[in-house]
Amino acid sequence: MVTAADLNEATHTNQWCPGCGDFGILLAIKNAIVTLGYNPKDVVVASGIGCSGKLPHYIKTYGFEGLHGRALPAASGIKLANNDLHVIAVGGDGDGYGIGMGHFVHSLRRNIDMTYLVHNNQVYGLTTGQTSPTSVKGYSSKSTPHGVIEEPINPIALAMNAGGTFVARSFSGDLKHLTEMLVQADKHRGFAFIDCLQPCITFNKINTYQYFQKRCYKLGEDYDPTNFNSAMEKAWEWERTGDKIPIGVIYKKEHSTYEDELPSLKEKPLVKHDISNVNIDSIIKEYL
Amino acid sequence: MEQIVNSLRIKFSGSAGTGVAVLGSSFAKCLQRHGLKVYSTNDYPSLIKGGHNTVFLRAEATDFFSHYDYNEIDVLITLNKEGALFHEKELTPGGAIVYDGDKIKFNEGELTRKDIKLVSVPLSAIATKNGGIIMLNTVALGAGMGLLGMDLDPLYKIIDHVFSKKGDAVIAQNKTCAKEGYDAVASFGDFKVKIQAIPVEERMLINGNDGACVGAIRSGVKLIAEYPMSPSSSILHFMAAHEREYKLVVKHTEDEIAAMNFIVGAGATGVRALTATSGGGFSLMVEALGLAGISETPCVVINAQRCGPSTGLPTYTEQADLRFALHASQGEFPRIVLAPGDLNDCFEVMGKAFNFAERVQTPCVVLIDKFLAETAYTIKPFDQKKIIVNRGKFYSDEDMAGRTDYKRHEFTEDGVSPRAIYGQPNGLHVASSYEHDETGWTSEDAEMRIKQIEKRANKMKNISEEELAPQVYGNENPDVTIVCWGSTKLIAREALFHLQEKGLKVKIINYWAFSPFPVETTKKLLSGKEPKIIFEGNSEGQLRYYIREKTGLLIENAYLRFDGRPFTVPEIVSETMKVVKK
Ligand SMILES: Cc1ncc(C[n+]2csc(CCOP(=O)(O)OP(=O)(O)O)c2C)c(N)n1
Ligand code: SF4
Repeated sequence: MVTAADLNEATHTNQWCPGCGDFGILLAIKNAIVTLGYNPKDVVVASGIGCSGKLPHYIKTYGFEGLHGRALPAASGIKLANNDLHVIAVGGDGDGYGIGMGHFVHSLRRNIDMTYLVHNNQVYGLTTGQTSPTSVKGYSSKSTPHGVIEEPINPIALAMNAGGTFVARSFSGDLKHLTEMLVQADKHRGFAFIDCLQPCITFNKINTYQYFQKRCYKLGEDYDPTNFNSAMEKAWEWERTGDKIPIGVIYKKEHSTYEDELPSLKEKPLVKHDISNVNIDSIIKEYL
Repeated sequence: MEQIVNSLRIKFSGSAGTGVAVLGSSFAKCLQRHGLKVYSTNDYPSLIKGGHNTVFLRAEATDFFSHYDYNEIDVLITLNKEGALFHEKELTPGGAIVYDGDKIKFNEGELTRKDIKLVSVPLSAIATKNGGIIMLNTVALGAGMGLLGMDLDPLYKIIDHVFSKKGDAVIAQNKTCAKEGYDAVASFGDFKVKIQAIPVEERMLINGNDGACVGAIRSGVKLIAEYPMSPSSSILHFMAAHEREYKLVVKHTEDEIAAMNFIVGAGATGVRALTATSGGGFSLMVEALGLAGISETPCVVINAQRCGPSTGLPTYTEQADLRFALHASQGEFPRIVLAPGDLNDCFEVMGKAFNFAERVQTPCVVLIDKFLAETAYTIKPFDQKKIIVNRGKFYSDEDMAGRTDYKRHEFTEDGVSPRAIYGQPNGLHVASSYEHDETGWTSEDAEMRIKQIEKRANKMKNISEEELAPQVYGNENPDVTIVCWGSTKLIAREALFHLQEKGLKVKIINYWAFSPFPVETTKKLLSGKEPKIIFEGNSEGQLRYYIREKTGLLIENAYLRFDGRPFTVPEIVSETMKVVKK
C-alpha cells in the first residue's frame, strides 16, 4: 500500500512561500491518492505555469509541467493516449481562467475522465501579484494600481453553464474537505472540476486564511447537487451575500465520458496498440 | 486533321459551389479507367459560393510528372460564361469549349478565337427533362466524354457506386443524362483529341495531403489533434474518416494551441501523435513546439503552406514558411524540418518524420505546400516497405525492473536518453517546460544549462548525412544544375526532359530535409563549375540563403515565384536556358 510518505519528493526543496495555501493542496492530493490506493506510477499530475504549476515536482508520481494556460489540453492528450492513467490537472486562476479560458470551457463540455483543480488565489502569484480574472472588483495591484475595473469571473457558475458534470469548491485550509473533494472528483466518471480557494499569503492581503475561515461553510447532507437551478443559486451565493461561501460538490450530473464514445479505446489504451507494422492495403484500395 | 490519341489537357470551370471539383474528379476517374495516367490540380478562391473555380486535368498514356502548363488546354467544359471568356485564350488551336448554349449567350466579339470549336449542349434541358437540374454535371460529364470518343461504361460504374444508396431510379436517371449528353455532341464531328482505352495498370489517384495521411497511418500515428485551416483541413477529414478502421483518436480541438498541446501530451505518453495546420495555426503552435523541444517529446506537425502573411491568399500556394519552421519558438532546440516534393515523398517523408522525431526525441515539422497538398495524380501503389517503424530508445518494463536511478534526461554518449513512459514502473519523472537537470527537476544552474543545451543539440547527430541526402536526378556532368524543394520538384522533373531534348545536360537537386541539413553532401553537390539556378515559391530565396548560411555557397541564379501559383514547365525551361546562355 502506498503511503503519503511514499509520495514525498524528499531530494529537493520546495520553492513555495512558507504558509502558502499550495501546501494544503499538495498534501490533499497525496492523501487522496493514498485513500484511492493508486500506485504512483499510474498517476500523472499535469500543470500549467505559475506557483501552482510547480506542484508536479513536489509529488512522487509522474508529472508534466507544461505551458502557462495549457495544462488541460496537454492533460487531455495524456489521458487519451493512455486512458488507464489517473490524470490530475492543476493550475492557477490566471492559468485556467485567464490565458487558458478557452481550454477550460471546452474541457468542461468535452468531459474527459480526469480531475482539474484550480489553485484560486485571486492573484497572479508567480509574476508578483498582479490582478487575476477572479480578483474582486476594485482590487489594487501593480497591474491595476487604481483598482481593477472588471467584475470577476464566477468559475462555478461558468463551469456549470459550460456543461460541467462535476463542479466543486473547496478551501486549501480544510485538508479533510479538500481530500474528500479530490477523492469524489476522481471517482466521478468524467471531467471533475474543483475551484480551490487558496490564500496567497505574499500578495493577496484580502483573501486570507482568516477571510475564508470566516466565510466558508460546508454544504450539508440535505443539499442536492443534482438540481441545476438550486445549484446555480449556490454558485452565486458568495457574490450575492459577500460573506457566505459554500464549499462542497455544488453540481454534478451523470453523463457519458468522452472516452466512452471512442471505439478505438474499447480494447486497450492507444499506447498499447501495436504499431510496428500497420497494414494500409485497405486505404490503398480506396484510391485504385 | 491528324488526331492526337491519349494525350489530353482539359479544364472544368464554374462558380464556386456548383460542383466543379466533383466534375473534375469524376472525369479524372473515367480517364483512369481508360488506362490513362492522370494529373489533376485545382484553382479556387477561398469562397464557398460565388467565386470562379477550375479543375485542370492532364492525361497521358504513360506516367508523367506535372501539369506542364496549366494555362494550355485542349478542352474547356464550363458551367458559366465567365469561364469561357476567361479561359478562351488558353485553348490550343482546334480546341473546344463545351457549354450550355441555352443558358450562355455570347455577344458579338466577346469570344475572339476563330480556331476553336464551340460545342453547345443543352445541359440544363437534358438534366431537367430526366429528373432535375441537380444532374447537370452528369450531362456535362457525358458530353465531355462524347467529345473525346470515350467509353461511357466507366462513368456508369461510377454512377452505380456514387448513387448506390439513392436507389435504382436515381441511377437510371443519371445514366440517361450521361448518355444524352454523350449523344448531343455527336453532331459536332470528330475532335482533335481522342481517348482510347488501353490496358489499365494498377495506379492510385491520390493527392498530397491524403498521401501524407496514409504515410502517417502506416507509421503508427494514433492520436491526431487538429483545428481546420485551408489547405490542411483535408488531413483532419481523412483521419476522421479512418478513425474507426485504424483505431485512431481524432480530435477537432478548440484551437491550434490546444491541438499542439494535445499532441505534446500524447507524445510524452508514448503515442505517435500528429497535428496539421497552415501558417496561421502554426503561429499559434510555436510555444508548444518549444515545449516539445525542451521536454524532449517527439511529435509531428504538418504545416500545409499557403500564401502569408496573416490570412494572405488562403487557397493559393507558397513555399515561404521554411525560415519560419526553422526558427519557430523562442530559444534554441533541435527540430526536424522536412518537406516532401511529390506524392511518394508525402508518404515516405511521414515515415521519416515519425522515426526521426522518436529517434531524436524532438518535434518534427513537415512542410507541404498547398499545390502538393491538393494536387492528385496517378502513381503506383505506395510501397509499405518504404516505411519501417523505428521508435528510438525506450526502456522496457524488464529494463526498468528494480531500478531506483532512472533519469529521464540522462547524459549519454549520443545525447539520447532512453525513455520510460507514464505508467511504467520505476520511471517516475516530470516532463517539464523549464530547463532541468537530468532527472527533469527545474535547474537554473549555469553549468547544467550549458550541458542540457549541448545534450539536446547533440541528439541531431543521430541522423546521418546519408539519411538526409537530397534527391538528385538527371546528368552526371551537367551543363546546368537546377535546385528546388517542395512541389517544384514535380515541375522541374518534367522540365528536365524538355531541356535534355534541347541537347542540354541537366542535374536536378531536390531538397527534402532542412534540419538537420546535409551540409557536406550539399558542398559536394554544388561544387561543380556549371551555372546553377534555384526555383522557389517565395520572394526572398529562403532555401537559397539557407544553403549559403550552412555551406558558404551561393547559388548564383534564382527564379522566384510568389504570386500564389505554381511554376510551369515552359517557365523552368526558359529560365534555365537563360542561365546556360549567360
Ligand atoms: C505565455 C505566457 N505568458 C505569460 C507568462 C508569465 N506568467 C507565468 S505564471 C503567470 C501567472 C501566474 O498566475 P496564476 O496562473 O494565477 O498562478 P499562481 O502563480 O497564482 O499559482 C504568468 C503571467 C508565461 N509563463 N507564459
Ligand atoms: S507567491 Fe503566493 S501563491 Fe506563490 S508561493 Fe507565495 S504565497 Fe503561494
